[in-house]
Amino acid sequence: MESGLSDLLSVSIDFGTSHLFFPTLITWIMAVLFVLVVATQVVPFLAAVKRGERTLPIVGESMDGLRFFGTLALIATYFYLMTVVGDMFPYTGYGFLFVSIPFVFLMSLLYLHEWTSKALVIVTLNAFVAPSLAWLILAKLFQITLP
Amino acid sequence: MEILSLLDVTFFLLTALGALVGIVFGAIPGMTATMAVAVCLPLTYALGLNHGLALLLGLYVGGISGGMVPAVLLNIPGTPSSITTTFDGYPMARRGEGERALKISVVASLVGGLISAAVLFLFAPLLADFSIKFSYIEKFLIILLALTVIASLSNNMLVGIFSGVIGIWLSLIGDYSISDGGNGKTRLMFDFMEPYLFEGFSLLPVLIGIFGISTILLEAEKGVKSDLTDERVKIGKGAGATFSLALFKGRLTNLVRSSFIGTFVGMLPGVGGSAASVLAYTQEKNLARDSSQMGKGAPQGLIASESANNALTGGALIPLLSLGIPGDSTTAVLIGAFTLQGIQVGPLFIPENAETWYVMMAALIFANFVMFFLMFYAIKYIAKVVMVPKHILFPIIVMMCVVGAYAINYGIMFDVWTLLIFGVLGYLIQKVGLEVAPLIIGFILGSQAEVYFVKSLESAGTLTIFFTKSPIAVVLWLLILASVVFSITMSLKNRAKHRQELLG
Repeated sequence: MESGLSDLLSVSIDFGTSHLFFPTLITWIMAVLFVLVVATQVVPFLAAVKRGERTLPIVGESMDGLRFFGTLALIATYFYLMTVVGDMFPYTGYGFLFVSIPFVFLMSLLYLHEWTSKALVIVTLNAFVAPSLAWLILAKLFQITLP
Repeated sequence: MEILSLLDVTFFLLTALGALVGIVFGAIPGMTATMAVAVCLPLTYALGLNHGLALLLGLYVGGISGGMVPAVLLNIPGTPSSITTTFDGYPMARRGEGERALKISVVASLVGGLISAAVLFLFAPLLADFSIKFSYIEKFLIILLALTVIASLSNNMLVGIFSGVIGIWLSLIGDYSISDGGNGKTRLMFDFMEPYLFEGFSLLPVLIGIFGISTILLEAEKGVKSDLTDERVKIGKGAGATFSLALFKGRLTNLVRSSFIGTFVGMLPGVGGSAASVLAYTQEKNLARDSSQMGKGAPQGLIASESANNALTGGALIPLLSLGIPGDSTTAVLIGAFTLQGIQVGPLFIPENAETWYVMMAALIFANFVMFFLMFYAIKYIAKVVMVPKHILFPIIVMMCVVGAYAINYGIMFDVWTLLIFGVLGYLIQKVGLEVAPLIIGFILGSQAEVYFVKSLESAGTLTIFFTKSPIAVVLWLLILASVVFSITMSLKNRAKHRQELLG
């Protein structure tokens, strides 16, 4: 009986596949926990949703769609264009500088609620000053690699 | 005194700058100390180790204390840890005692910060000394304990554990590093990802994404509204609202107790500042002779809350420096910054880097004093920071996140995309109710856990080794068991209370 137990607990790991040992274990633990979470949390929650007591996260909530998806789109475009422009002027950080200015400007506009002329002037100034300052200090002064 | 030569003018200037920027970040609702550290990381790349640490620790201390400003003036906690400050701070501000409330909080923060720094100074080397003898088995069990403690303090233990395991899983993506004794093969990914993900996701872009970008997404979803439509920041001095140290008379026990509570909670891995201040606040409520005024504007509530949340700073650094396990999300970012400077935190850190250790202590204490003087004498001007419009701030934050992520590995664009991936992931995680803290700690510790676990098994060949290796291993198992039992009894208690409330 005793040897049976120690057999059960003994483990040998083949070096060639040792990179899969822990991930497989964790994946299984994760899967079991997922089932438990679904059973104990998600199912009662969905039942409450059905009764109308709770709302689904994200889809069931009111959200500012324009600002949320606008933010996502802006950030993705920002990252993408930075590489494109950065490749045109390698090792200068211009990609960062030239793309950051319109990005900061557009994102400020997206979040600005009341478009008064005073606010627009501040937004425009900020869009030029902030990236330039960051570029000057980081890329020129501190010699940090920028796109 | 070799150490004194390291403390030059730049060192003090950087600590002060860090504290100032940290306070500003903390003071802006929605921005946290974690974010301050993450956003300012690129500045440290160019600095040396000591100067970088000075800046980071200044940011950390400043960021945690800055949260009191909007908490008192606007009833919005600037950082999660200042939730309990709003209970008494805002009623005081409504009575025109804003300045007094803030000054009480500042003094309490200073005391909390210094007490926890003292505990750190005395305790971290001891713990490191003790843990130096740990083999892979004890190290694995420590990580297991850390994750259990975080999970058991989550709102729901099961969800906490699940979040932690997701974090570990994410950290395993990439190769099983040869330098750690692995075989260098990749797993958990498709072949086409290999050029980008051979070494897995880099830690700092992941952290900056989760704490920077997802905060912005969460705000964008709500429409980036200004919190201060018609509310004027009132700090004014009402009649008899002047501050004097006499306010602390008879509150010394509270001050010291809350500081120690904060330090202790800070030591527990992954438990944020809100737990520290809530615990200190409830303790004061239970133990004080007269707690009837608490919640209506009593200085004692402010003292409890602020001394505890600032005491977190020293406490959270204890497991970070002695075991390499981050105590909260801000120290999780600090761990990344250390790695960047070529420092491996863990049991060997203090004995092998004695100078750095003293420099850190100097920076921590100095940062606390700078925080005190800035906040105490310039509070009127700092209070204006809460008015900075978000449409100016957010684009700049995204921009700084990009710099931070891109420059970490000297110019890898995939690290910038990692920001977006984890920004969106962090947003989804928070929306569906998973917990960020366990996930992050799991992510940071996951790959170490793998090495310790697999190597222990490879050499011993049996699972029983985890129980029989040493008395320390047994003690660690008992602690793990204790935290599980604690969590289960707490949830049962809460459920019973909830049911009683429903019936009553």
